[in-house]
Amino acid sequence: MASPVRILTAVPICDGHDSAINTINLEFIRHGIEVVYLGFHRYVGDIVRAAIQEDVAAVGISSYNGGHIDFFAEVVRQLRRAGAEDIAVFGGGGGTITPDDAKIMKRKGVDQIFFAGTSLGEIAQYVKKRYGNRRKKKNRRNADLVLARELTQIEDARGKIRNSKFTIRKSREACVIGFTGPGGAGKTTLIDELVLRFLRNQPGARLAILSHDPSVVGEGALLGDRATMINSQDDRVFMRSMATRGQAGGLSPATESCLARLTSAGFDYVLLETVGTGQEALPFRGRLIDQTVLVMNPDYGARLQLQKIVMLDVADIVVVNKTDLDRAKVALSEIEYRLTQNKRGQQLVATVAKRHRDAGVDKLYEMLTEPVIPSAVEGSRGKSFKVTSRDASNPPRFARNDGKGKGQAKKQTKDN
Amino acid sequence: MSKLGAVVEAVEKHEKFVRDEVQRARTDEAFGREMLERWEKIKSEIPISRAPTGLPLPRLALPEIDEPGEIARYLLGDGLPGEFPYLNGAYREMYLEPLPEIETGSYGNAKSPNGSKGKKNGAKPQPPEEPTRLFSGLMLAEDTNKRFHFLSAHQRSKRLSTAFDGPTLYGIDSDADGVFGKIGEGGVAVDTVEDMVRLYDGFELGAPHFSASMTISGPAPIIMAMYIAAAKRRFGPKVVPNLRGTIQADIFKEVQAQNETIFPIEASLRFLLDMIEWTAEKMPRWYPVSISGYHIGEAGSTPVQQAAYTLSNGFAYVEMLSARGVPVDQFAPRLSFFLDCGLDVEYIALARVSRKIWAIGMRDVFGASPRGQMFKLHTQTSGRSLIAAEFKNNLTRTATELMLAYMNGTNSCHSNSADEPFTTPSEEWIRLAAHGQAILLEESGIFKHTMNMLSGSPGMKAVERAVEKAILDEFREIESLGGVMGAVENRYQRSQIQNAAHRYEEQIYNGTRPIIGLTRYRSPEDEMPEIELARTPRAKQELQVRRLKAFKKKNAAKAAQALDQLSEVVESCENTFPALLEAVEVCSLGQISDRLQEVVGRFRPMV
Repeated sequence: MASPVRILTAVPICDGHDSAINTINLEFIRHGIEVVYLGFHRYVGDIVRAAIQEDVAAVGISSYNGGHIDFFAEVVRQLRRAGAEDIAVFGGGGGTITPDDAKIMKRKGVDQIFFAGTSLGEIAQYVKKRYGNRRKKKNRRNADLVLARELTQIEDARGKIRNSKFTIRKSREACVIGFTGPGGAGKTTLIDELVLRFLRNQPGARLAILSHDPSVVGEGALLGDRATMINSQDDRVFMRSMATRGQAGGLSPATESCLARLTSAGFDYVLLETVGTGQEALPFRGRLIDQTVLVMNPDYGARLQLQKIVMLDVADIVVVNKTDLDRAKVALSEIEYRLTQNKRGQQLVATVAKRHRDAGVDKLYEMLTEPVIPSAVEGSRGKSFKVTSRDASNPPRFARNDGKGKGQAKKQTKDN
Repeated sequence: MSKLGAVVEAVEKHEKFVRDEVQRARTDEAFGREMLERWEKIKSEIPISRAPTGLPLPRLALPEIDEPGEIARYLLGDGLPGEFPYLNGAYREMYLEPLPEIETGSYGNAKSPNGSKGKKNGAKPQPPEEPTRLFSGLMLAEDTNKRFHFLSAHQRSKRLSTAFDGPTLYGIDSDADGVFGKIGEGGVAVDTVEDMVRLYDGFELGAPHFSASMTISGPAPIIMAMYIAAAKRRFGPKVVPNLRGTIQADIFKEVQAQNETIFPIEASLRFLLDMIEWTAEKMPRWYPVSISGYHIGEAGSTPVQQAAYTLSNGFAYVEMLSARGVPVDQFAPRLSFFLDCGLDVEYIALARVSRKIWAIGMRDVFGASPRGQMFKLHTQTSGRSLIAAEFKNNLTRTATELMLAYMNGTNSCHSNSADEPFTTPSEEWIRLAAHGQAILLEESGIFKHTMNMLSGSPGMKAVERAVEKAILDEFREIESLGGVMGAVENRYQRSQIQNAAHRYEEQIYNGTRPIIGLTRYRSPEDEMPEIELARTPRAKQELQVRRLKAFKKKNAAKAAQALDQLSEVVESCENTFPALLEAVEVCSLGQISDRLQEVVGRFRPMV
């Protein structure tokens, strides 16, 4: 079966009109299209970066607040400059984009403008047909683009391309952290808050994020994590959204191969996020994960439910997020007891990821960036992770928070 | 339990109270007589107005009932206009032409029962102020100012409603990277207090006949501070208590529908409540929040969702302000509402039911006095119902919606201009939209002689009942998610609105929702009209950037200091609004919102 068409949709800067795009996204998904949704109020740079990293066939922009001629043209221009001129740009804006505007926009390289009155199905059909079999030009200028296209090949072969096909360096450089947990626990927000700390505290570091959303074989998916990950839209972050394409367990058939490719692509950290998982899930089977984090919501139900969560036995770090909820205290003590019973030296952190400068997230960041000492506990991990700097002359980059970070943490406590 | 559950209970209790009183009026002879006597008295006091043809008509039309139980149902269940629970209207009179003389009774003219004041002086009685509101905002402050003067030239009262451009709505300066093309598009660009001075130049801020309304929420406290600072620059500090107007400032609806939020919800709420607390005390004539369903409706909600989310948002603000210890009677009279009016049948009664639920909740749950029970409503016709294809049909759509809005007893109304699907409205079509209201209220006799000409029909009653039940069901759902905050965090309102929007679109294309000129009776030549588009010229955008840069350069040293002070206040638990008032004197909007974001974080969008 042919792989689904992947497109990116977004609403321009200073525009919050997302009603049309939400409706159209739903329609795209019904037509078997994978939609990476970047959200509203987005800069050109964010759209172009995302389009390249996600290696989409086309970018759809829904604009209702004016300034569309400049905005669309700038997206086209920046895609071209990045060597991604084969990513098409289309869009609409109800009646705000006039036929005369559309003519100018097409002259400037926009592929298609849909006017008010076009049916949803018509738009979806056009996208499927027009962007379904686009052949991508080879591009060697832009490293992100090269990497993104390799990932697409891996993904479309359902991971069956052997890694030897690509230039994978022998030594693995990146520290890989896997995040899993039930839907609604706040994994995405937590990761984005960690990214903010990575970027602030490690000015040279580069990160990759591999995030997953569920989908059925041959059908569409809404890949929406980028829309809420405001800190991860940064030139030092390479983010890729994957649909599970029918595979159960929280990851895609191609995840492991994609991860293998990413770990040797010059990143300091690779953060892997599964889809929301059930009690029995053990998503991280590969040997590529260095640390595993289970993110939980205090509302898991009765204490008995805890016994059934398999990840609690194997996660290196358990995060209880949303600890501002009433049930948090009970949850923390129940989970702490459970982890003590495991006797494996697992760590427990309480966070409120939605809170700015949350002290719990600061603590989690420190845990994740401390050099990992080979675990003394038998059988805790297949291998222990050792920090190796890409460049031996670099100072160790896993220093604890600098003074600034600590000061912030203090202030946070005062706030509370 | 949030207080929303208590509101549901209060409405149910009130319904039961009315049912019991109806029974009592039928069984308890003395009470029945009391009802009948009261009814006769009310009838006898209703003044008579005359149509131009000489036909005598009552100012207030009452149902033709003479049975004590039905009288009790009307008086207690619906209430006379201006009486609890305000189903028929927040005030005793609206839209009516002044009576040349009162022929009988004194209803609606309590102050001068003979209505002879005007006669004695030989002057015509002053007509009440127009309920028409004029919405504008385009290009730079001076351009919008010019438009305001044009629009209000013939109005007795200057009631200006201001739209801001995208960067302003998001708290971004005009000189920021990536927003250049958006300067002055879709609204006016305001970066500094100097722009604010230019915006209302020539208008007498602080005068009773002037009020300004500002449609902005994300950075509303900063813009409010700029408005106060601008007024002080022009009229001195004494003007502050006299300022009249409204600032939208409704953060909940932003998070639920309009997406113009710039700080995390908790921080946004704190800045908002700080502002309301300050203005409720120092600016008793100002409406510091306009609790808005308009954008919820425009984002695609059903009418019931619109009313339910708007009312529950309002109750949530009241709950939070009460929790801060602000006396309910200090702020409740300063809350106002803003609803959408489209073509769905629910709109025939939506505002009526909203008034009733608000009044019951405010009286019975929050202990507000009558002024705080009144649901003061501004309505705008639906922009979403207007379409580009054969756009002149939009005049009819808007006229129908206006009719519905006035039948609901809205206190003021904005009618959209037919060219709205393409552009910021142009003068020609704005004029037609404003005149549409004048034709309805001044030329036609529908509203000017009898205030409730079309209300209370059996059909309208049927819609009222169905809508009320559906709103209470929505309240129960929200309550089960932990109240408004809990529901917001679970993105309940957002997903409900999105589902409704998708269904609406599907219905258009499967024919269940015919759109004339688009899916039915489509004209063979389907061409876009020749319309003069209001686009901001580059030279103007450049001018705005230049002015802003000059302001920043001039105030650089003072700005740094003011921002540090602001940070300090935000880190403390103090009210932030006084610090904003200081900061806007020397800092731009973007400088302030950037600094606030550093301290409290950025809003994380919900999808």
